[in-house]
Amino acid sequence: MAVLTIAAREFRAIFNTTIGWLVLAAFLLLNGVFFLLWLDYFARASAEFSGGAYGDVQLFLSEQFFAPFYGNVATILLLVCPAVSMRMFAEERSKKTLELLLTSPVSTAEIVLGKFLGAMGFITVLLLGLSYAPILLWFWSTPDLGSLLSAHLALFLVAGSAIAIGALFSSLTDNQITALVLTVSVGLALYVIGSAGTPDSFAGQISILNHIDDLLLGGIRLSDLAYFVGLIGVFLFATHQKVESFRWS
Amino acid sequence: MSIIEVKNLTRRFGALTAVDDLSFSVGQGDIVGFLGPNGAGKSTTMRMLTGSLGATSGSVTIAGYDIGSDARAVQRIVGYLPETPPLYTDMTVRSYLRFCAKIKKAKSPNQAADHVIDRVDLGLVAGRLIGNLSKGFRQRVGVAQALVHEPRLLILDEPTSGLDPNQRVEIRALIGELAKGDVTVVLSTHILPEVEAVCGRVIILHRGKIVAQDTLAGLSGAGQAVRVVVARPSDAVGSALLALPGALQVKVLEDGAYRVQANDDIREAVAACAVNFGLLELGRDQAGLEDVFLKLTRSEGGI
Repeated sequence: MAVLTIAAREFRAIFNTTIGWLVLAAFLLLNGVFFLLWLDYFARASAEFSGGAYGDVQLFLSEQFFAPFYGNVATILLLVCPAVSMRMFAEERSKKTLELLLTSPVSTAEIVLGKFLGAMGFITVLLLGLSYAPILLWFWSTPDLGSLLSAHLALFLVAGSAIAIGALFSSLTDNQITALVLTVSVGLALYVIGSAGTPDSFAGQISILNHIDDLLLGGIRLSDLAYFVGLIGVFLFATHQKVESFRWS
Repeated sequence: MSIIEVKNLTRRFGALTAVDDLSFSVGQGDIVGFLGPNGAGKSTTMRMLTGSLGATSGSVTIAGYDIGSDARAVQRIVGYLPETPPLYTDMTVRSYLRFCAKIKKAKSPNQAADHVIDRVDLGLVAGRLIGNLSKGFRQRVGVAQALVHEPRLLILDEPTSGLDPNQRVEIRALIGELAKGDVTVVLSTHILPEVEAVCGRVIILHRGKIVAQDTLAGLSGAGQAVRVVVARPSDAVGSALLALPGALQVKVLEDGAYRVQANDDIREAVAACAVNFGLLELGRDQAGLEDVFLKLTRSEGGI
């Protein structure tokens, strides 16, 4: 229960900040532009490939539209999630409100998990704001529901990773901007490191990019899930240890 | 039966020993005041009583629970107002107190919040954002937060700081009322009259150590002191006062004022005697505790 109470407060607090609304606006605007660009690309490609020199080639909506579109959304999430997570602990420390949580009969795990879930609630609102994409396309086509769900799973996992990384940096400093910059840096590093080697190399294995490719196309693999659960788990655990240490310092 | 048992409590921050080997106990229903100059270790001690700060060594037992191993159980029965009230400025008073009631595991959180709003007289501002409130109201929201789950033990770090005199009186009255309901209160302050107004017992801290702990009467020099001012001061006044039954010591102060130390309340006898010399003023001597405080905490080559 305490987890949900803390999550609900965190969720509302995000909407009480200018940053929350700015993030919502920027996220919807950027993705709206990408939605149109990818739709235009898909329409042209379909026209080119049908009845052309190669005969009728069928293009798949999931592969040629949703996968690259949601891939873009994932990148944008890596950029906006740190702006959501930066205040998590840094603000509580600078405003001295963390002491309220630390002296209430709730465990550190409940505090960290509650805050994490509150931020994920905000991410859910962001993604609900994108639900026009599949709904609109339903009028002209029948998108594959399975791959849509798996793509959304990918988005939640990417956002969860970014929020977990952000939670740790937010607990390490009481300056929100420091937390923001560090989280964006680490998130992007995990994103681009894949291009430093083949997918099987170590760099490829720790890259976020390589672990969402299959999910975006509808392929749910245990190794990919394990990667994200592990990433989120490690960062939330580190955050837990840091917050616990506040009881001793 | 004591609700707080502190044994050999020590807290170091690097090379600084903020709290040095404290031992004391507080009985159920007592009102205890922590007195001490800034940096004496009052806040550090209070934080260790609430589980927001761990001890370097020593033990704190509250209502039979050890704070180290049973912190959650302790926190259920303790209400705590830190030095800076922990307020979420983006919430309204009511939603903030409801949140506090929930995480502090009050039985019916929404009613508990409404109840405390009445009790601390926050009804007028209940729907306003905390960020828009004056300092006095914020302090009261802080007190309300500490009370919302009906704790048996209240730990208040400078509860009246930033309040105007009227609000101070209200908070003191509230503390007195709580103590009648068998709530134990530990509060810190550096306002001496406040201690005299509400506390039954005083613990004076200096440089992390207890330098005195006693009842008020005990501290202000065995018994009570009467301050009397007469129109015609002379040596005869001093000897006449000292000759009164119960008078232990007479100290000559400035401008015809005398301070009579006694074991019990001898104001009546002092008045009768002083009338002969032109009685101008008479009352309990408030300087008693102040003298003790200054003497105990004036450090050699202090900060």
